[in-house]
Amino acid sequence: MTFQEIVLELQNFWSKQGCAIVQPYDLEKGAGTFNPATFFGALTSAPARFAYIEPCRRPADGRYGENPNRLGKYYQFQVIMKPVPNGITDTYQKSLKAIGLDPKKHDLRWIEDDWESPTLGASGVGWEVWLDGMEITQFTYFQQMGSMPLSPVSVELTYGLERIAMYLQNKNSVYDLDYGGGLTYGDLHKPQERELSRYSFETADVALLSRHFNEWEAEGKRLSEFGDPIPAYDCVVRASHLFNTLEARGAISVTERAHYIGRIRNLARKVMELYIDKHTPKETAASK
Amino acid sequence: MAKNTKLNDFLLDIHTEPFPARFVPPALDQLKLNAAKMLDGKIEHGEIAVSGTLRHLVLSVKQVAFKGGDKTERFKGPKVGAPAPALEGFARKYGIEASALIPVDGILYAEVHSKGEPASVLFAAMIPELMKSLQFPKFMTWEETGFKFGRPLRAITALLGDKIIPVTVAGVKSGRAVHGHPVLAKAPAVLKDPSKHAAALRQGLVIVDPAERRDYLLKSLAQATKSTGGVAEPDEALIDETVFMVEHPVPVLGKLRDAHMILPAELLKLVMKKQLKFFPVVTRDGLLHPYFVGVRDGLSSGNELVRAGYQRVLEARFNDAAFFVGRDSASTLESKLSQLERVTYQKALGSMSQKAARVSAIAAWISERLRQTAPVDEQAVSRAAKLVYADLVTDVVKEFPELQGHMGGVYARKDGESEKVALAVEQFYYPVAAKSPAPATAEGAVVSLAGKLDSLAGCFAAGMIPTGSADPYALRRQALGAIRIVLEKQLPLDLDEAIARAISLQPVANPEPAKLAAQLADFIWGRAQSLFEEMNYAVDEVRSIRSGALTNLPNAFLRLAALRAVRRDPAFDALAAAFKRASNILKQAKLSDGLIPDRALLRDQADFDLYDALVSAEGAANDRIVRGDFEGGLKTLVSVKPSLDQFFDKVMVMVEDEGLKKQRLALLSKLVRAFRLVADLAEIQAAA
Repeated sequence: MTFQEIVLELQNFWSKQGCAIVQPYDLEKGAGTFNPATFFGALTSAPARFAYIEPCRRPADGRYGENPNRLGKYYQFQVIMKPVPNGITDTYQKSLKAIGLDPKKHDLRWIEDDWESPTLGASGVGWEVWLDGMEITQFTYFQQMGSMPLSPVSVELTYGLERIAMYLQNKNSVYDLDYGGGLTYGDLHKPQERELSRYSFETADVALLSRHFNEWEAEGKRLSEFGDPIPAYDCVVRASHLFNTLEARGAISVTERAHYIGRIRNLARKVMELYIDKHTPKETAASK
Repeated sequence: MAKNTKLNDFLLDIHTEPFPARFVPPALDQLKLNAAKMLDGKIEHGEIAVSGTLRHLVLSVKQVAFKGGDKTERFKGPKVGAPAPALEGFARKYGIEASALIPVDGILYAEVHSKGEPASVLFAAMIPELMKSLQFPKFMTWEETGFKFGRPLRAITALLGDKIIPVTVAGVKSGRAVHGHPVLAKAPAVLKDPSKHAAALRQGLVIVDPAERRDYLLKSLAQATKSTGGVAEPDEALIDETVFMVEHPVPVLGKLRDAHMILPAELLKLVMKKQLKFFPVVTRDGLLHPYFVGVRDGLSSGNELVRAGYQRVLEARFNDAAFFVGRDSASTLESKLSQLERVTYQKALGSMSQKAARVSAIAAWISERLRQTAPVDEQAVSRAAKLVYADLVTDVVKEFPELQGHMGGVYARKDGESEKVALAVEQFYYPVAAKSPAPATAEGAVVSLAGKLDSLAGCFAAGMIPTGSADPYALRRQALGAIRIVLEKQLPLDLDEAIARAISLQPVANPEPAKLAAQLADFIWGRAQSLFEEMNYAVDEVRSIRSGALTNLPNAFLRLAALRAVRRDPAFDALAAAFKRASNILKQAKLSDGLIPDRALLRDQADFDLYDALVSAEGAANDRIVRGDFEGGLKTLVSVKPSLDQFFDKVMVMVEDEGLKKQRLALLSKLVRAFRLVADLAEIQAAA
């Protein structure tokens, strides 16, 4: 099964489970959770069922295309469901079977791993799912966003597509994966890994990135004054990625780090409050 | 309850999504304890037992009575003669007539008789309460009712005899379905009665009893490793965890590649155990064998695929580790030292580089102190002290903090440092646990002790002093480590002086360093005290050697042993009492301890006898004590007892004649001083 077939199968599978298959969000981000379908989707009491592939950038994980297991830019397949459907862990197991991983033939383990995102003030309870010792999915019941308890709770599944593909195709290097369309993953990604690693570790303009961080933070604050959380949230996503790049570039000391994270978290909280306020029926809010 | 009808057993199976292993044993303990509390006094029952896995918390109660006991309760009401509406209101609350209220001492009581409820009703009420009563390290919510539990609830099996106890918790209705292994069980079993529960789960490939699962795991581990000639490392923590990580353990043996066997064994083991929960295979001597065992949850069919997967994951992890070792080895430990300037130790205590400088200074001071009595290789000490923290900035230690020290040793050898230096670096953090070994060499002991003294002095100087059970910097462990090193290596080192030295080096100014040093000395002594008490020395014995103990701890221990030996003498308690009398007299007279009697100024025969006995005993005792024979010394001192008894019988100490009084006090003072070289007998409590 090629890389793209795995994505298509997962889309099919979750489409049949009633999910809307949405598209990746058009901003640089470190995780699928940043897609508004998940971030805003988890916030209010309205039902949410989405699935999508999301390119993720982790500047610090770049290895110049030389490490067969590590990438500075890769893909996640993300599912978010609220309220949580009955038997979701069983449904997940069925999704593995759909992409050719029969749980009966493997050792499937649920290892405690509580996810949290300090920048989003978000945390959840859940597991890493191990297939024969390899982590293939992060499985999380969101509990908090912006340091506020969530109700109803959403469940988030994040598939590590490259690892699953390496397993299925029996490849020891991510770059040897058969992507589909006659291409390897390396054909598509190796030049990018090399150049983006150089950017993250060597050539990124620290002064410019720092300035942009400050500016997007200020813009986010300014925009949230107008009562529109969506453009303000874009500022959160941008600031977060700028922070990640600055950190990879070695431009942030340990003490500054906490300060940067605090700034993003404060902005994210403002955006969340705004969004909840805007999307909660007023009479319900008043009757509480 | 001898009746013809058979009593029913009760069974509750709380089936959830997978709990973290560490959640389960405490939850099972609570399940048993809380169920007993809730049932006791309400209904008669037999044995309560629990079992479970990461997905099942199971409670069984044997031989439950058909209904709860009848009860009569009295509730206090208004005073006799209260207005009628008040009386009626009170009576109505309990469903009785006002005329039925019972007067006792001017107060009216409502007496309520209740029939015992049927067992099924009691259990239906108990189950939700019982589930709510379980405490988990972390709670979560997952559905609309907001029920809080350790993991999402999937099913509740609740049967009393062959009847379902109907309850609904977190939207889940109880029933008689029993859910086996989530991947391997075919369909849920339908449970007819509680006695079939374990068998139903076994049918679904779940061994529900933890003890049985553990046995099965150990047996199959032995089986799996048999062909290798080695054994699965008997790591108790990993075994306990594995018992609650799988429902049906199936070991899968895999092989390590030769290329990886050149990596440090401790690193390989840690990668296996910590990152993948695999058991390393070791020889009978504990050496790493090129095998591992992963424990699969479920069947042994298709193990080839699982083995290949395990090996691939392990190899990827080993490659990461090899990459880290390679990067770390590209430069020497010494060249990494400058990076320690940027690593903060404690805000108030500066960087790790500053800490390293202090440790070097303390280690040098200790070596110098030992130069006459127990010389060490001072060059090796100095070199090791310089390098001990260098591995903190290596990639391997950043990834595996447990390997601090160990990797330092590995890299030191690679750098061509002497074995003495490498070993001292490797064992710098020893002893790592209460029963684990202290550093093997004298040089290692000195450097390790210096590190501990600096940490203790630093934290005390910065006000980070443990209180109660709170000890965030593990200072008690450090203090115990220091004590054990000095004792086990027999270091004739004055710890009081060393403490003062370490405090003087701290970057935090203290207005009263002597007071702080005394406080730290007491803290360290506290650890020595509990160590000795653990060795079965009595509290009063340990207390009696406190004075001067830290000046020479190995001697203090010998003094303690001597005291214990001499105490077996039947005359000892009487001597201790006389001794106590002597020290009380001195205390009341408020005279300084250092008085020296002058035989010429004494008067009575009893004075002279005690004086002579004391002088000769003291001389002989000192000869022995100097040779380290504290027992012999103490026994010699004990020989003054008849003279002391006679002294107390025949003469008064507090006489009118000031000169004579002073001489007699001086005599007692001499006695007390002589004994204190071994122990302060005033602390000894007479046997009850």
